[in-house]
Amino acid sequence: MDIVACIKRVPDTSEVDVIKIDASQKDIEKDRLVFKINDWDEYVLEEAVQLREKLGGTLTAVTVGHNDWDDVLRRALAMGADTGIRIDQDVSAEDTHVVAKILKTVIQQIPHDLVLFGAQSEDFGSGQLGAMVAEMLDIPHATLVVGLEAEEKRVRVNRELEAGTLESYTIELPALLTIHTGINQPRYISLGGIKRAMKKELQVMSLSDLQLSPDALNPMVRLEKLELPPKGEGAELITGAPGEAAEQLTKILKDTGIF
Amino acid sequence: MSGILVVAEHRNKSLADIVHQMLSKGRQLADQAQVELLAVVIGRDIDASAAELARWADRVIAVKNDRLEEPLAGPYQKALSPLIRERKPKIVLMGHSSFAMDMAPSLSVELEAPLATDCVDISLQNGDVLVTRSIYNGKVNAIHSFAQSETVIITGRVGEFPVEDCHRQGQVEEIEFASEEGFNYKKFEGYLEEEAGGVDITQAEVLVSVGRGIKEKKNIQMAEELAEVLSGVVSCSRPVVDYGWLPSERQVGLSGKTVKPKLYLGLGISGAFQHVVGMKGAKMTVAINKDAKAPIFSVANYGIVGDILQVVPELISKISELKGKTG
Repeated sequence: MDIVACIKRVPDTSEVDVIKIDASQKDIEKDRLVFKINDWDEYVLEEAVQLREKLGGTLTAVTVGHNDWDDVLRRALAMGADTGIRIDQDVSAEDTHVVAKILKTVIQQIPHDLVLFGAQSEDFGSGQLGAMVAEMLDIPHATLVVGLEAEEKRVRVNRELEAGTLESYTIELPALLTIHTGINQPRYISLGGIKRAMKKELQVMSLSDLQLSPDALNPMVRLEKLELPPKGEGAELITGAPGEAAEQLTKILKDTGIF
Repeated sequence: MSGILVVAEHRNKSLADIVHQMLSKGRQLADQAQVELLAVVIGRDIDASAAELARWADRVIAVKNDRLEEPLAGPYQKALSPLIRERKPKIVLMGHSSFAMDMAPSLSVELEAPLATDCVDISLQNGDVLVTRSIYNGKVNAIHSFAQSETVIITGRVGEFPVEDCHRQGQVEEIEFASEEGFNYKKFEGYLEEEAGGVDITQAEVLVSVGRGIKEKKNIQMAEELAEVLSGVVSCSRPVVDYGWLPSERQVGLSGKTVKPKLYLGLGISGAFQHVVGMKGAKMTVAINKDAKAPIFSVANYGIVGDILQVVPELISKISELKGKTG
């Protein structure tokens, strides 16, 4: 089975105290942020590597970004991907339609029985990309996949609905799935894997290599500006050393009749 | 401007909660723009749903198809796209549910219509549609506009649009949708329900809830101890289940359980909206997290910015001490 895994790089803002919006008002100041592979995409790569181990075939990792995005491809190679392809274009603030058009064009050129995406990204979280690409490729898709069994010609998937309910489908290949967290336990990457990955060559393609003109990409959603969210009422903060804070909180819990 | 169309999602013959939220927002936008609010529902046995939609909508389009019992993305898209092409609503509005995540992106490609998902605000300014999205872990808002387009598709975040009851009597228009060809490549096999486990977190008066910030599986023991002195149980957010540290029956949030305890004590929980929708009914919320900007602090009553590994042992000992004194 030939698999294509589409992955991206994101700034880790989960524990960042101060996020600043830059002078353009259309981006955040990123120079102090640490970048990493998108959380969902770790599950994508693990699932892809497991399928390849079971069913053979090729595994190609694809990303769209400038050269510092190579690190997510190296990671994919270290986990077991055969090939890494980077489309050298900054699309981080673009309408998802634009990114989808680029990826569709790339995927058409690679053998693909199964195309995998993360269900969403940590940074913008629109959760649109995979299903858009599927429609452009005219292949069936399922999003938010938390269970996957694959055979040569078809996959059985469980996708997540709300409140603990799953929706089950059998889908004929080629197909596109977006993978949700928790579907597997992503492996740790060995030092040997990283060394091997550094030796493999990455393919870099430009839009013109893909015969895509920037005009044809035509964004339909425009970013007007970024803002910091209005400060809500918020919690009453209990300050002091851990012992003092714990003591105050104990008193509050006692006074409200919790115990 | 032409109308606003709300796509209604239903399961087991009743409308999903998010539909009422979208109808309320849709009604407000339609009134502001002085256009019709349309609602569309597709499937079998949809009369009751259609009647309910007519309380908000000026016109309900009930698309009947006996073979479409469940709201499945593929067939829904097939039924919707010709309808949208024909009626040309300015805005197609739906809740950002699992169903919409499966359908809206491909619908937008098919219609070549712009799509903004998971919006926390939608407004009309001089006839232009503007949306706000919450990005970077809820720490930044992005405001978007749309390129010129007959129709834009917008999905709204669960819980962001208050339900305002409405008592209209809109018209219900029934149409037949015959075709169900072309779905052999994607066969619906049924629903699976999560198996009931040993602990029902929805019944607990006190929940000590752990998130990614708990860092290691062994630290859950500490949360168990805190829960024990408070006569509560331990629940969690999604990452803790993803890592295999707690079973999914303990998960609070959109894909887990909705809880309404007297006390919800979050340890290392950041407060992503998917989690918050499941716990905002708590009478009192306390959050302990080392990230001062974690969104959980905007919904909590009390907060401690600090390291849970330091604060929680202190908390256990102070509570035990005080309980010992008062017996």
